[in-house]
Amino acid sequence: MNKNKLFIFLLLLSASSAMSASAQEVDSLLKSLSNDQKFDKVEATFKATHIVLSQSTETQKKRDLDFRIRHHFGDIGGEFGNSHTLWGLDVASDLYIGFDYGITDKLTIGIGRSKHDELFNFLIKQKLVQQKTNGMPFNLTLFAQMGLVAREAFATNEFAAYGDRMTYFIQPMLSRKFSSNFSFQVMPALLMRSKTVGLNDPKELFSLGFAGRLKLNKRLSFVAEYTLVNELSRNDLVAELYNPLGIGLEIETGGHIFSLNFMNSEYINENSFIPNTKKSWKDGGVRFGFTISRNFSLFQSKNKNPDTKSTIY
Amino acid sequence: MMPYAAAQTYTAKNIQFNIFSSTPIEDIKAASYTGVAVLVAQKQEITIQVAIKSLEFDKKLMQEHFNENYMESDKYPLAKFKGSIEPKIDWAKDGDYPVTVKGSLWIHGIEQPRTINGKITIKNKVVSIATAFNVNCIDHHIKIPSIMFAKIAEVIQVKVQGNLNPLN
Repeated sequence: MNKNKLFIFLLLLSASSAMSASAQEVDSLLKSLSNDQKFDKVEATFKATHIVLSQSTETQKKRDLDFRIRHHFGDIGGEFGNSHTLWGLDVASDLYIGFDYGITDKLTIGIGRSKHDELFNFLIKQKLVQQKTNGMPFNLTLFAQMGLVAREAFATNEFAAYGDRMTYFIQPMLSRKFSSNFSFQVMPALLMRSKTVGLNDPKELFSLGFAGRLKLNKRLSFVAEYTLVNELSRNDLVAELYNPLGIGLEIETGGHIFSLNFMNSEYINENSFIPNTKKSWKDGGVRFGFTISRNFSLFQSKNKNPDTKSTIY
Repeated sequence: MMPYAAAQTYTAKNIQFNIFSSTPIEDIKAASYTGVAVLVAQKQEITIQVAIKSLEFDKKLMQEHFNENYMESDKYPLAKFKGSIEPKIDWAKDGDYPVTVKGSLWIHGIEQPRTINGKITIKNKVVSIATAFNVNCIDHHIKIPSIMFAKIAEVIQVKVQGNLNPLN
């Protein structure tokens, strides 16, 4: 009796394993047929080309134009804030209008203008390395920007040579999407300029930035960034300068991106806010700022494939 | 029991997938040409799958939003259908066979039982498949925010076609 039971059990076991083996074979066949490596790009490490103030490793898509408007209000607290300025809302410490255009999916060029210093900036951004699910663990994008101060000189010899109005910024950015909800970026940078705040302030200013994104849901993210510059490459300055720290929320609605932030930096452009953040989170120097970014697809796509040709009526 | 290898198996790695969303405001199309399929003839069983990221859109930002906001393709990289074919087909004989395939459809990590009609054509041992069916986004827990209703259809039309060749 026991022997019979054992026999039936073994028979069932072998029958079921034979069946699952063939199912397994189908699965392994599917796996060997598919060419998934081609499609394991990790995309959208960040939703936008910017995090708070800094650039992200993301670039514009080919033929897409990003129109960005950014506004920084005044100090929320401290000497210049409180109810007399409606917690900074009466003040515009900086404004930025800019256009970024994707020449390819990996190469972006842009131009912008800030209220502070009447600064014109010309930027170029190239994605060099793309993170993959299997293999390449990070993204690498190179960012370079030239700034031109267009305002009148405050003193006759402030811009003795025209070249004194120029600043040059170069920044490799390394980022990784750790999960669909969390991304982190590290960005060393070098700013070259001829105007500094004093003896201990080098013309070649090195900084190191850190930025992160935490996705709260599909459309809403928490973003934060910190740039280490003062203890890193300059000390004992006469002027009181602080390291920029910004936090914010980013809302994406398919085409538009709204970014609402708090930060101590008065200025918006890297060439201004990294060397010249004069406010501190500690004494009410924090301010509200926002970005509105709108993507436009320029030019008719040359796509002739009827399978992927989309139409807007 | 018949050894597995003796039963004829057909495979394909260039199955074409087309998806189509139509609203009065916008038509959106995307295509993949790299779907894979395995047909176990003796069991009349077919499995087809496609990498979501292989679906190409004209607008890359739209493609990114499709992957990030709707399909969550980092979490759910594949769409898959597995089913048994009816009626019984003589795979050795050339001909056209209208078929009904009963099985399961996995999209966005959600399995739905489906019965899909299609056509099988056998010619010189090559098995061609063709079908068209609709996918209701809600059935697969793909949420479309109400502000996007004007641009994205709630029911997506899917077309699949390709040729399977005998293995070995």
